[in-house]
Amino acid sequence: MKILDSSGLTDFLATVDREFNLTLPVIDASGCRIYGTLQAGTPALHGGALLAKPTSLFFPQEEDVHVEGGGDSEPPPEKQLLAIGFTPKDLLCLGFIDRFFSDGFRDDIYFRRRQGALIAAVSGYVGADGGFIPPAFGNCDFEFIFDGKNWIINPYSEAGRGIAALIPYDAPIDALSQVMAEVERYVDEDAAIIKKASQILMADLVPDSFWEEIAASCILCTGCNLVCPTCTCFGVRDWRDADGFSRSRMWDSCQLDGFAREAGGHNPLGTEALRTRRRIHHKLAADMTKWGEMGCFTCGRCDAVCPTGIGIVAVARKMVERFQHNLS
Amino acid sequence: MKRTLTICPYCGTGCALWLLTENGRAVGVEPVREHPVSRGGLCVKGWNAAAFINHPERLKTPLVRKDGVLTPATWDEALDRVVSGIRDLQRLHGNDAMMFASSAKATNEENYLLMKLARAVFGTNNIDHCARLCHSSTVTGLAQTFGSGAMTNSVDSIEHADLIFVIGSNTTEQHPLIGTRILKAVQNGAKLIVADNRLIRLARHADIHIRHKNGSDVALLLAMMNQIQTDGLADQEFIESRTEGFAEFQDSFASWTPQAAAAITGVDPSVMADAARLYASAKSALIFYSMGITQHSHGVDNVRCVAALAMMTGNLGREGAGVCPLRGQNNVQGGCDMGALPDLYSGYQKVADPLVRDKFAKVWGCELPSNPGLPLTHAMNAAHDGKIKGMFIMGENPALSDPDQNHAMEALKSLDLLVVQDIFLTETAQLAHVVLPAACYGEKDGTFTNTERRIQLLHKALEPPGEARADWEIVCELACRAGCQGMNYASTAEIMAEAASLTPIYGGVSHERLTLAGLQWPCPASDHSGTPILHRENFTRGKGKFIPVSYRPPMEEPDADYPLMLTTGRTYFHWHTGSMTRRTHLLDREERRSFVEISPIDAASHGIREGGRVTIVSRRGEVTAFARVTGSALPGVLFIPFHFAEGAANVLTNNQLDPESHIPEFKVCAVRIGAAP
Repeated sequence: MKILDSSGLTDFLATVDREFNLTLPVIDASGCRIYGTLQAGTPALHGGALLAKPTSLFFPQEEDVHVEGGGDSEPPPEKQLLAIGFTPKDLLCLGFIDRFFSDGFRDDIYFRRRQGALIAAVSGYVGADGGFIPPAFGNCDFEFIFDGKNWIINPYSEAGRGIAALIPYDAPIDALSQVMAEVERYVDEDAAIIKKASQILMADLVPDSFWEEIAASCILCTGCNLVCPTCTCFGVRDWRDADGFSRSRMWDSCQLDGFAREAGGHNPLGTEALRTRRRIHHKLAADMTKWGEMGCFTCGRCDAVCPTGIGIVAVARKMVERFQHNLS
Repeated sequence: MKRTLTICPYCGTGCALWLLTENGRAVGVEPVREHPVSRGGLCVKGWNAAAFINHPERLKTPLVRKDGVLTPATWDEALDRVVSGIRDLQRLHGNDAMMFASSAKATNEENYLLMKLARAVFGTNNIDHCARLCHSSTVTGLAQTFGSGAMTNSVDSIEHADLIFVIGSNTTEQHPLIGTRILKAVQNGAKLIVADNRLIRLARHADIHIRHKNGSDVALLLAMMNQIQTDGLADQEFIESRTEGFAEFQDSFASWTPQAAAAITGVDPSVMADAARLYASAKSALIFYSMGITQHSHGVDNVRCVAALAMMTGNLGREGAGVCPLRGQNNVQGGCDMGALPDLYSGYQKVADPLVRDKFAKVWGCELPSNPGLPLTHAMNAAHDGKIKGMFIMGENPALSDPDQNHAMEALKSLDLLVVQDIFLTETAQLAHVVLPAACYGEKDGTFTNTERRIQLLHKALEPPGEARADWEIVCELACRAGCQGMNYASTAEIMAEAASLTPIYGGVSHERLTLAGLQWPCPASDHSGTPILHRENFTRGKGKFIPVSYRPPMEEPDADYPLMLTTGRTYFHWHTGSMTRRTHLLDREERRSFVEISPIDAASHGIREGGRVTIVSRRGEVTAFARVTGSALPGVLFIPFHFAEGAANVLTNNQLDPESHIPEFKVCAVRIGAAP
């Protein structure tokens, strides 16, 4: 483990920026916190999960699948990608879609961006309003853990150890003692709610009227899908122009009527209530069956982006309030 | 991947978004959590605002009609053809034979420049834009009553209202990020009244849903005022201290008891009375309205009634209390502010006022015409009659958006010179003699002003395709070729500096000052922080004015030959004539064909089934569309969106205008329907 104070962190980021294609949370000139380069703004590792999903680095909103005459793959970037800023929950999401894009069929388009990318998590007292985010202690190449004063750099992979070795300052052996004590005390209420909601759904205890009520507040913005780091559905679009033909894929949303509409016009998910139910059922019940874990790690993005307050944790909370008494 | 902060190009809400670009292409969008309006949300159109930018059908080179065919041309050739074409026809027929249509999709700077081009370079006040078709009734009606034809409050005010009255606005679909604020306010305990005969999403959450007949708004609002007066719920103190004309205005509603109004509105009198009491009993009430109020042959009267209802109950000039006309286009507020109007310079300064005219003439260094120009709707009629010979249309598509499409097409085809400046070869551009390829919102700098008067900066994220140029660059080039030396600008910031110097409500605005939160006008000085709420101590005109109204029915009502009422509008997934959204994969997939909403009762009586092809006929023409049988539609009323060139709703609509605002009656005409053969 290594240790850095805030000015040491700035210097360290400048150093790795020379070696890597660095992306991290920054505050830009407009005062907004976004993913960007050191040239785009000032590093901003505090603040918790960004609204945009970090997995968009590897599965962007739109990308070419095929360009006539253009070859099927882009040349590799000059520098290796180093993505800083995943929360520990984001790492779980990344693991979830890494498996999705490689299970049985390896999605080359995903892995042309994902392959070789280095991932660094940020945790400790870095949440919104200084809240605590329990460290991942793995699932990435290295981790920045803020103990309230200094950054502890904890490497987990060979590449991570190589990067950490750039830092001359070894952390004291008890550097994480305060953080570990906080981990002991930490209660993840959102995760508990989602787990309970999953049990309720798996036991089929939610009536249709509940989904009608939730769907009545849904304006079909699709934001819940588009910020979800485990959503992987995409549509395919073909364009033809004077230069030839190109095919690209772009994020799709299962909240939309056209998502499941059949060619003949019939839609097995033809109502907003059915689609809302299906989306949440997929994450909390169907993924449990298929993968043995839920497709929601309570990263909080859909709750943050939803303009009417029906993100998955909010819906799960309602579900638990109303139906948990029916759980045996 | 590069992120550029800019403003959504669709509705007037003015959500900020990050436009993502990679290798010179737009590849996505991210919402902006810190933005005061959108707060990290976007609607489905905003989320897809990158998708049309690189579409292969973008115009990449100027086109000039040769031997009847639009043919690629150089900028030199195209611009010379435009300038000489305008000069020739003005020499033959006078300056006012030319009409300029500006664009509510273009920036403030571009609207300012086009109105300057029309007035200072080509010597005509014939300049207007699509505000004529959406909120001209508001500009006229609220200017007369309050002194300012704009939304009185900020979107944030929703959180301070304990009652929200939505009339003639499908807010969650047409201003989604404002609609969701209303939904959240209701979740937090605010009361909601919705007056709209379609069962819109907001209606599902309303305490009272009024399904009044199209065109009966005056009767409904007068009945509410009648009930408020009867119950002693009027705010006498506000009426006496802040307003004038109430005594005369009372005659307007004296006979309109809810019982009397029921015959016109088709609404149970007790529902209207309950709505009146609920509204008048609120401590702070906001009214939201949109095209359902304005697009009528009595649109200005509708607006006067809305204003009167708010004044009568003291619901103005405070946080959570006001009148909120929701402006449709991303920059329709700015188009009006910048004087793309035939009778007004920027900042609503009258063309007819010689002092104002002198002020502009001095700065622009030219003589200016004194007679107000033609509203767009009259210009189209004048073109049809052969009196307007040329049109320069920047970023509008009247071939699809004007009422009575056959009439509009004939008018456009009759022109000696039609110039269209746009990003796609729209239905209007297809008729043009010269087509100028323009940059879209992501390809230029400038400002948009949203519905709450918030002036916001957009930033260029990528280069326009091919030889396309920003509208402001094209307009400057035209001015230069026409011999005007005063329209050379190095940047859009310079244009805004000039506009601000001539426009008191923008007097303190500069690009340099515009942070993420923008500035809300009036912002008269460089140390002024903007004005979130209008009419706080006094109305802009001094005292609020009650203006008497009387109910007038729509110009065309159902009869034996055309027994159904047709109303038109937009859907959630498309924008106006679809030039952008129909080229956006996901949006096109959601709604890809023209449809007509019809009630189950009417469908059954006409032998129409869900999804079946139907023919709808009015006195102007007929279209075919696909039936959508839904309880959302009131029996006797059909709804068709106007996005689709095939099955164009505006083939059917009635080109009858409000006598004061000159807005067409898009919301009511008479039709018949039958299963298509």
